[in-house]
Amino acid sequence: MTTPNRSFLRDNPSVLWFMGLLGLFTVIVTILSEGMGAGVMSTNMVKILGMTLCLCLIAIAMDVVWGYCGILSLGHFAFFGLGGYAIGMWLMYARTEIVIRDNLAQGAIPATETEVAEAVASQIFGVVGSSDLPLIWTFAGSLPAQLALVVLVPGLLALVFGWLAFRSRVTGVYLSILTQAMTLALSLYLFQNDTGLRGNNGLSGLQNIPGALDVPQAVISVWFFWASALALGLGYVLFAWVVSGKFGSVIRAIRDNEARVRFLGYNVEAYKLFVFTITAVVAGIAGALYYPQAGIINPAQIAPIASIYLAVWVAIGGRGRLYGAVIGAAFVSLLSSWLTGGGAPNIELGPLRIIWTDWWLVLLGLGFVAVTLFFPKGIGGLFDYLVRRQP
Amino acid sequence: MTLLEVSGVSVTFDGFRAINNLSIAIGEPELRAVIGPNGAGKTTFMDIVTGKTRPDTGRVLWGELSTDLVKLSESQIAKAGIGRKFQKPTVFEDQTVSANLSMALKNKRGPFAVLSWKATAADKARIVELAEEVGLADRLDHRAGDLSHGQKQWLEIGMLLAQDPRLLLVDEPAAGMTPAEREHTTDLLKRAAQTRAVVVIEHDMEFIRRLDCRVTVLHEGSVLAEGSLDHVTKNQQVIDVYLGR
Repeated sequence: MTTPNRSFLRDNPSVLWFMGLLGLFTVIVTILSEGMGAGVMSTNMVKILGMTLCLCLIAIAMDVVWGYCGILSLGHFAFFGLGGYAIGMWLMYARTEIVIRDNLAQGAIPATETEVAEAVASQIFGVVGSSDLPLIWTFAGSLPAQLALVVLVPGLLALVFGWLAFRSRVTGVYLSILTQAMTLALSLYLFQNDTGLRGNNGLSGLQNIPGALDVPQAVISVWFFWASALALGLGYVLFAWVVSGKFGSVIRAIRDNEARVRFLGYNVEAYKLFVFTITAVVAGIAGALYYPQAGIINPAQIAPIASIYLAVWVAIGGRGRLYGAVIGAAFVSLLSSWLTGGGAPNIELGPLRIIWTDWWLVLLGLGFVAVTLFFPKGIGGLFDYLVRRQP
Repeated sequence: MTLLEVSGVSVTFDGFRAINNLSIAIGEPELRAVIGPNGAGKTTFMDIVTGKTRPDTGRVLWGELSTDLVKLSESQIAKAGIGRKFQKPTVFEDQTVSANLSMALKNKRGPFAVLSWKATAADKARIVELAEEVGLADRLDHRAGDLSHGQKQWLEIGMLLAQDPRLLLVDEPAAGMTPAEREHTTDLLKRAAQTRAVVVIEHDMEFIRRLDCRVTVLHEGSVLAEGSLDHVTKNQQVIDVYLGR
């Protein structure tokens, strides 16, 4: 006889597998790393792998909102970027402040606080021809405040946007277009020089961590790798729990037939809003871990195409299963950085020369079409052949 | 006692008057069959009661407090105690029979309550009991999509019963069923109607005869005749409508 809830881990064997593999991967990278281990793996490689883990984290968020709840959001990378900007403001402000204080300390008269603040502002905003600290930088000197903003800014934007969209019952492709419009508008807005986030220059020098300025990047890269692995692990457990119980049943039911769910007495809009917002918050956290490893964030990062890539990763990896999203994000983004980073040799085909930096997008597009046509369950679907579950 | 009172309701779709000054009262408990030719407004009547379609005029009063359902959303109406089975069986094919039933169980419906929901022993027993009632006790762990057409219809009826509604609206429950399955369905509906109000839309006269209940004939969006099946089938207007004038 069946019971609707057995133990969480028994119902979700992928959680233990995933945690084991992620732990193993973390140990291997640490042992090979330059900062902590044998030095076989370059610091740059550790950073790329750490960033890949962040992309996997936003991919599982995308899988929950799209693969499980059926909302094809083409705007989740905007939340990722906002998380990055929120932490980037602190990194840039705090580091600039330390440098300025060191410089001023060499003067005969100790600098006043106002002088320090002015110097920091003109240092950061000189590039966009301003020397005043914009209002949104009020809390930039406080790490706890900016960490709160990592969660609050994406969360509130998703809450307001989602509330407006879902209560008007905007669904399907119309909602996707709306989310694209949101991310496009945000990106165009941030390109302006007077928005207080340095326009197209973005925020830079984010790899330098205030308070750890004398720690070599080789070590910092491993710290961030650990933090990214931890966040991905926690995110995986959280989402596996969210989608496994009755809540998971309801959101999958909303994906398959939302009108029917309404007639069962569920407030479909509340569920969509909950899923949209919580995944936006996780996307923000992923971004906040990604950009200190990337070192720079600018508005081009949250251009609409980034959110489309995100959907492509999840589709290639296999939506409706969390490990599928992880596989898709890791596989496609690593392949992309290998091919576009000059890792793969160009191919000479007589008159035609395949230069991977140009041809990568063609390959990705063909791959997407092939997966959609021949493997609708994505790469993750291959596991179904390995593990034939009894019905 | 009158549970549902539809009075003077009209609906127009692009100039076509689907429901025309319709008035129907349903008691509790009661089994009622609604028949009528295609386009008579049977399904639209259900759409109005469940909040899918808003009427242009008229009122839909519900329960002791005479709540006007026209002002409520679909999910609020469902929570008030109205369950609906659609013409096409609409169960969640990707999920197991027990997950389908568990979603329909009369529990809290908010996201946070559902997130922390754990099936109690009573919930589990209820799911088994419902599955037995609709003849799916040995199918609880199967995907709903793997069920036969008739079994899907029953699962949906089981989900309706799980909601424990005071009023069940059932749209063509016997469509596509074998004679044996039909008989089972009739029994289910008659049993359900002992404690609650059940409204059945059906084309099949044999099925209606077996239900042995009061019949309302709809035509062009309003009530043409009402009474026992024998009574309405003797009505000259009804004969005209069904045979064509």
